[in-house]
This record gives sequence, structure tokens and C-alpha cells, in this order.
Amino acid sequence: MHVDVWHEVGERNVGRAGLLLIGLIVLLAIFAPVLTPYSPRENTSTQAFSRPSTDHWLGTNDARQDIWTQLLYGARTSLSVGFGVALLSGFISVLVGGTAAIFGGLYDRFWMRIVDATIAIPDVVVIILVAAYLRPNVLLMILLLSALSWPGGARVIRAQTLTLKERMHVSAARTFGAGWSHLLFRHIVPDLAPVLVAIMIQDARRAVFMEAGLSFLGISDPSVMSWGKMMQYARVFTYLEVWKWWLLPTGLALSSTLIGLSFTGYALESALDPRLRDRDDHAEGGV
Amino acid sequence: MEDQYGRPLEGPKVGWDIPKATVRAWALLRRAAFFTNYVVAFLLILTLNFVLPRLMPGDPFQAIYGQEALLAMTPQLKAQLIERLSLDQSMGQQFVAYILALVQGDLGYSYYYNQQVLTVILDFLPWTLLLMGTALVLSTLAGLVLGIESGYRRGRSLDKALLASLMFLNGFPDFFMGIVLLLFFGVVFGVVPLSGALTPYSGLEGLALVRDILHHLLAPLAALVLVRVTSPYLLTRNTMITTLRENFVMTARSKGCTEGQIKYRHAGRNSLLPVVTSTGLMVPQMITGALFVEIVFTYPGVGWLLYNSLLTRDYPLIQGILLMVTLAVLLANLLVDLLYLKIDPRVSDAR
Repeated sequence: MHVDVWHEVGERNVGRAGLLLIGLIVLLAIFAPVLTPYSPRENTSTQAFSRPSTDHWLGTNDARQDIWTQLLYGARTSLSVGFGVALLSGFISVLVGGTAAIFGGLYDRFWMRIVDATIAIPDVVVIILVAAYLRPNVLLMILLLSALSWPGGARVIRAQTLTLKERMHVSAARTFGAGWSHLLFRHIVPDLAPVLVAIMIQDARRAVFMEAGLSFLGISDPSVMSWGKMMQYARVFTYLEVWKWWLLPTGLALSSTLIGLSFTGYALESALDPRLRDRDDHAEGGV
Repeated sequence: MEDQYGRPLEGPKVGWDIPKATVRAWALLRRAAFFTNYVVAFLLILTLNFVLPRLMPGDPFQAIYGQEALLAMTPQLKAQLIERLSLDQSMGQQFVAYILALVQGDLGYSYYYNQQVLTVILDFLPWTLLLMGTALVLSTLAGLVLGIESGYRRGRSLDKALLASLMFLNGFPDFFMGIVLLLFFGVVFGVVPLSGALTPYSGLEGLALVRDILHHLLAPLAALVLVRVTSPYLLTRNTMITTLRENFVMTARSKGCTEGQIKYRHAGRNSLLPVVTSTGLMVPQMITGALFVEIVFTYPGVGWLLYNSLLTRDYPLIQGILLMVTLAVLLANLLVDLLYLKIDPRVSDAR
């Protein structure tokens, strides 16, 4: 039975809500300069800790900076880290998982051993250790997070490729002498697309979470505004009333991004899983 | 050797016709393969721990022994430190010295706390174990019960409400959930303490002490469980949905079992296996969660210690914590694997 997975994600309420949230935040990030007259580090003439007003939608912080502006620019950091990791980690997953399935043998065993081993490693602590030495910028953060998140995807891609490579069109291409890269990227990846997107959404979600968490710990690029860093600064002033328009909106922005990603991912995954599909149970030959 | 349909049976899948020694060798081999993952993972971490500080530009003493060591530096100390990890030797000999020290339980020396790294970590470990252990047990149990109820009522209002709200809660990062709980229950309502694991210098004993500890544990625990209950819940719900279609559920129904029996004894029991496995896989996430939650609530566990050592650039301590955490995660996974063999009759029969 052919299922239009993409269509189904848009049909479901969960999927729709997720896509809406992500779309909203992407728009905010892209149009940040239009949506605010300030720059994130600009010390405005308003006094510190002022309440929300028409000039400053979310008030100002201790350094007289506009919080709404910082929120918008923080979205840029979170999204670019998420997007970067999704792309890079997804690519490595396909490359390793796909080739392992195609070549098989010792090559396959070697990579699966690596995957099994790295999955068992607690990645946050590893990143903290590396970051403690290296003081990462955004690019390095993307590399680090990708290096730790590809194995999970690689395992799924390998399992999928193992069944896909027995398909008619793949064997046909093989008999015509197609090389592995042609097989993988022209014949297998197109069929894998929904699974790959689900993996990439998960990677992005983890990356956004980790970036925020690490900058909350003070491990971040000092020149870049980020939600985690804003929360780290704001946390010091909980005895004042400012948390209502400083700490809470920032946390909520971060949470909505994560919720948007996980809702979309969930809708996609349940559309992919035949056992969970919302069809008539009797038609599937069940009870 | 053939099966009932006359097809040849191959390999040591059947136990009775093969010499005992072969079976034992086979099992041993599989057990060895099973351990390899853990050994490789541990070696990766060891290498990372060894290589990182030695690749750093600048003063190797600071990178290896931390900032405090630099402040306390004297010629004697310097000579002692060089000798300790054979820093004047080749990389290979340094690695051997490093491993030898680890084998003897020497994780290094924290110049900030002026104590052995291992001692420092062991001081902070009990609180983390308490927080993480209770969070792990509570979220798994809650996830199981909610998942069974939700999966049984699939598509009805309770199921939809549970699914939506738990997915929503899961979107909160642990530290933000911690902050929210701290702000509302700690700052606004003032019903939970703002920091620490017990009231300092209170001189409490017995039951009062236990109550004090639980009172301090409440908010961090709630933050962790609220965020982490979703994954066992979703897993149980999914398994429940597939299991309810099986024939044995219909048999149970037709022989007149009550709803509760069907839910928990017949269908729910099948969800136990994947959930046990996922509990093991949840350990690393729980550690991440506990780390952030401890920092938010200034809870004196290993997470808070890691944060503090990050601020003071106490590298030996950071490395020691990484090593201990990796060891804990690997052990947890190993335990789950072994437990899995015990509770799944299919796996244990296959041996």
C-alpha cells in the first residue's frame, strides 16, 4: 500500500501544530532586523530593568539591552545550530549507514561496532569536556554535536538500506554497473527520504536542546546571542520581578522550538509506522 | 538434525544435539562480542581524556592539572607532577603511565578541593544517585501505567489529552522546567526550599532528617520526572496498541477476563520488556537531565560539581567525572542487557 507520508503529516493535528510553531520561529529569526529597531548588544537609553512597554516589548535587562531583540537574534543561533547539525549529521548517517549496508562484510561490522560503542557514550559530558578545553564557536559546536549524533541515525539508515537494496530498481542499476555512490544517492536515498527527515528532525531537536543547555552552562561563543545564555544571565535576577518578561519568554521560546520539532517528528514517525497508523484496524488483517 | 517440516536445522540454535563444550564456547564467544561494545566505548573515552589536554596549546600543566595547580606551583611540585604522569617521556610511555594510574584507582588530584578526584566525586555522588534513581524509577512506573491506560483507550479523550500534554511537557528542557518549578513553588508560593539537599546545621535526626531530605528532593525530582516520563509512556502506549490486536487478548476477552486483567496481566505485561530496555537507554539522558536540574536547584550532586569545576577550570575533576559517568552509563546498559536475558523467555531459550 502506498502512503503519502508528507501529506499525512500535514493532515494530522500534531503535525500541523508542529509545522506551524517551527514556521513561526523561522520567520521571527529571518525577519529579526525588520521586527526590532535595536541590535542585540546595543545599550539603549532606557533605564535598566524597565518593564515591558511600546518601545521595549519585553523590557530591558541589567545592561539596558532590549530583551525582545535578544530573543529574536537568539532564535537565529538556535535554528542555525539545529539546521547545521541536522544536515551534517544526517549526511554522515546516510554515508556510513548506507555504505555499511551496501558493502556488508568486515566494513559493515567495523562501522556497526563503532556505532554501538558511541551510542553508549553520554554525549553531554563529552561535549562539556571538549568544550571546556576548546571554547567552541558556532561552527565548532555544529561539528561537535554532529560527531556525537550521527550513530543513532546510521543504525536506522543501515537497517532500511538492507531491505531497500533488494528492490528491483536497485538490482537493475547494479547490473548496469552503477557504483556505490550512484546506488546510494540516486536509488536508495530518494526512497529513504521520509525516514531520513525524521532522523534529521530528531538530530535538530537534540542539537537545539544541547546548544541551549551548553550556553546555559556558560559554554558558548561569547560574540553570539543565544537563548541559553540569556537564561543564564536572567537566572541571577530571580529575586526581582524581571523574570516574568526576561526568563520566562526566553524559556518559552526555546520550549516552543523544541515542541514544534518533536510534534512534527512524532507526526512523521507515526505516519511511517504502519502499526500506529490511524486506519481501520480490521482492514490490516488484525483482530 | 531436522525440524518438524523436514527442513535442516543449522548451527547451535538447538541445544540438545550439540556437544556441551561447543555450546559453552559459542555462548562465551557471544558474550565476548557483547562486551566488546562496552570496552570500545570505554577506550574511546580514555583516549579522549588522554589526548585532549596534551593537544592543547599553552601550558600543559594547566591543561592537565588545572588552574589551581598553576597557582600552587613550586619547583618541587613541578618535578613531582612531571614524574607522576611521565610528562618528560614519549607519548606512548605517558599513555602507559596514565592507564597504570587509573588502574590503581588514581583519577588524579583536584588542586581546587585539595583532595583526590575520586574522593571528591564520591562525596557528591550519593545525592545524584538519590535524585537520579528515584527519578528513573518514578518516571518508568508512571510511564508504564499512563501508557497502558492511554493505549487501552486509544483515540478516546483521555488518550488524546494524555498524549498531547505529555508530548508538550517533553518539549521543556530540564533546566527550564526546573527554573519554572523553582520560580513558582519556591519564589512565588514559597512551599519548597530554593537550594541544597538538606537544611544546613539543622541538627535534624531520624525521621525529621528524612523528611527534610525529601522536602528538598521534591522540586528537582518533579522537574526530572515531568520531562522524562514521556519516553516510557510513548513506548508503552505503542506496544499496548500493537499487543491489543493479538489473538491471545481476544482469547482472554472471550474467556471472560475483566478489563483490569486484560489491561495489566495480558497486554500490559508485554510492554514491560521494551520499557526495561528503554530504562537502560534513558540513563544517559537522565544524567544530562540531573546535571542541569542540580545546577538550577544548587543540589550538591555530581552535576553541580561538574558545573563548579567548569567554572574553576579544574580539569582533573572534569575528566574524572567524565570517566565515572561513562562507567556508570556502561554499567547500567550492561545490567539492562543481562536483565533482558533473564526476563525475555525467547532470548534465554535461544542460548
